[in-house]
Amino acid sequence: MKRFRSCRICMSCWLAVLANWAACATLSAAPDISGTYWATTYSPTIQILGGGAPPLNAAGKVAYDRNRAGLKDGSIVDKARRVCVPDGMPRVLATPYPFEILQVPTDQVTFVYEMNHQIRVIYIDKPLPEPHRLLVEPLYNGHSIGRWEGETLVVETAGFNERTFLDATGLPHSDAMRTIERIRKTAKELEIVITIHDPEMYERDWQARFVYQERNDVRIEEYACNDNHRDLSAVKGVEPQ
Amino acid sequence: MSRNLSHLRASAIVLGLLCSPAAFLPLLAQEMPRTGTPPKLSEPGVAWAGFVAPKEPNYAIARLFNDFGQPATGIGPVTDDPAHPYVNNEVARQMRIQPTYRVADLNNAAARNLMPWAREALRTQNELVLQGQNGTTREARCWETGVPAFHLNPGPMHIIQGPREVVLMLTGRVRRIRLDVPHSADPKPSWYGESVGRYEGDALVVDTIGFNGKTFVDSYRTPHTDKLRVVERFRLINDGNTLEVAFTVDDPGAYHQPWSGTRNRHRVVRPNMRPVEFECPEANDDYFDIGLEPVPTAQKRHF
Repeated sequence: MKRFRSCRICMSCWLAVLANWAACATLSAAPDISGTYWATTYSPTIQILGGGAPPLNAAGKVAYDRNRAGLKDGSIVDKARRVCVPDGMPRVLATPYPFEILQVPTDQVTFVYEMNHQIRVIYIDKPLPEPHRLLVEPLYNGHSIGRWEGETLVVETAGFNERTFLDATGLPHSDAMRTIERIRKTAKELEIVITIHDPEMYERDWQARFVYQERNDVRIEEYACNDNHRDLSAVKGVEPQ
Repeated sequence: MSRNLSHLRASAIVLGLLCSPAAFLPLLAQEMPRTGTPPKLSEPGVAWAGFVAPKEPNYAIARLFNDFGQPATGIGPVTDDPAHPYVNNEVARQMRIQPTYRVADLNNAAARNLMPWAREALRTQNELVLQGQNGTTREARCWETGVPAFHLNPGPMHIIQGPREVVLMLTGRVRRIRLDVPHSADPKPSWYGESVGRYEGDALVVDTIGFNGKTFVDSYRTPHTDKLRVVERFRLINDGNTLEVAFTVDDPGAYHQPWSGTRNRHRVVRPNMRPVEFECPEANDDYFDIGLEPVPTAQKRHF
C-alpha cells in the first residue's frame, strides 16, 4: 500500500512536470515578432493587393466622393493629422513612423505606434467582445483578437467608430467593417496582409499588403501634436507639406 | 576612486541633513537597501485604477481622486488654498456639492519651497482661476501631461513590463521606461523626458530627466524648468492590490529643495478592458467661448 502511494506520488510529480513542460512548450511555441519596425515607403493611397481600385459599391462611391471633396475644401477635417487622434485601421498600418511590437503579458500582442502614440492591443485566443459591446464601445482602431497559425499571427478586428478613413485620401468605411490581418515576420521584415470586409461600402472583400523593416536600432520617440517630429526623408513617398 | 565618491556622497548627505534634514529624508530612504523580488506590474487583464469609489461617502478618499498624496516626511506637493478648498468631481459627487477649480495655497511649506518666479506664476494662475478663467487642467485640454503629473488621472493605467522596457499607458498617453541602461549624454527634450529604470529589491526605480519645460508638475500648474529630475519608485503593497508610486521631484531652477509625493493605484481585473485611445481632442472645442486653452493642433502636415 505504501509502495503504491509512493508510486502514485511519483506519478503525480511526473504528470506535474509534463504539464509544466507542455505549458512551457505552448508559450514558447508563439513566434517572437517583438521588436521595432519601420516602413521604407509611404503612400497616401492604399495599395490594393493585385492592383486596381478599391471595389466601392454605390454607397461607397458616394461616401468617397463626399470625403474627397470635403477634405479638399476643408469642410471635413482630417483629425488624425490636425489634432492627432488615432488614424484607424488600416490607415495606421501605412504610418511612415516606426512602431514597436511587445509580447508581454503572454496573452496579448501590443502595437505601440510612435505616430499619435496609438496603441493596439490584440488579445490572443480570446473571443471578440459581444456584438452589442462592439456597437456601444467602438474604437478608432477597433477591438482586436488573434491566434497563431504556425508562424503567422491572424488578427480579427471589429467594432470601429466611423470617424476614420482607410487611407489619407478619405477612402470610406462603415461601422460594420471587419478586418483580418495575417502578420508574419521573415528574416528582417514584418509583413501584414489585411483583408477588408465591409459590404456596406464595398462590393467584395479586398486586400492590401504592408511591409516593414526590423529596426531595433531605432528608439521610438515621443509624438505630440504640432511638435517637430523625426526626419522622414528616408521613407520613400513622404512628401513634406 | 569609488571610495572617494562614497565619502563625498556621505559627506553631502550629512551636510544636507545639517542644512535641511526634512528635505533629504525621502532621498535617504531611497539609499536604504531593499529586499524582495521585482514587482509584477503587468498581468493578463490587470490594470491599475487611480481611484476606486468607496461604498460609503468618504471625503478623505475622495480628495485623492486626482491629487498626489503627501509624503511621510519632508516637503510635499502644492495643495489647495484653505480659503478656496478644491472640490474635485468625486468629492462633488459624494458630498453633493458644487465642484470647483483649483486655487493653490501660496503660504504653506510647499509654496515657500517654490522659487520666486515659480510662486509668482502660481499666484497669476490663482488670479485667473478666481476670475473664472483657465481653471481646467492641461490634461483636460488634451496636452501631454509630463512627470509626475502623468499619474494624476484617476483612470486605469495599463502596464507592459518587458525585459528591456516598461511601457505605461494612461488616457491614451504613453510613457516608455528603458531598463538597465544609462541616460543618454544629451537627451532630446521631450514632454515625458527620458526615463531609465532598474529593479531595486521589490521596487522599480525610474529616473527621468530631459524634459522640454512645457508641462506642469501638477494640476495647479506649478511650473518647472528643463532641469527637472523626477525619481519614481513603483512598488506593490497591500498583498499586491495596490501599486504605490512614490516620487521625488528636484529642479534647482524652480524649487529650493526637492519635494516628494505619492500616488497609489488599485489593482482591477477586467479581461476585456483595453487601454484608452487618445480621443481627447475629438470634440473638445471651446463651445461656450469661456477662454479655454486650445487643444494641441498641428499647424502643418508633416507628410
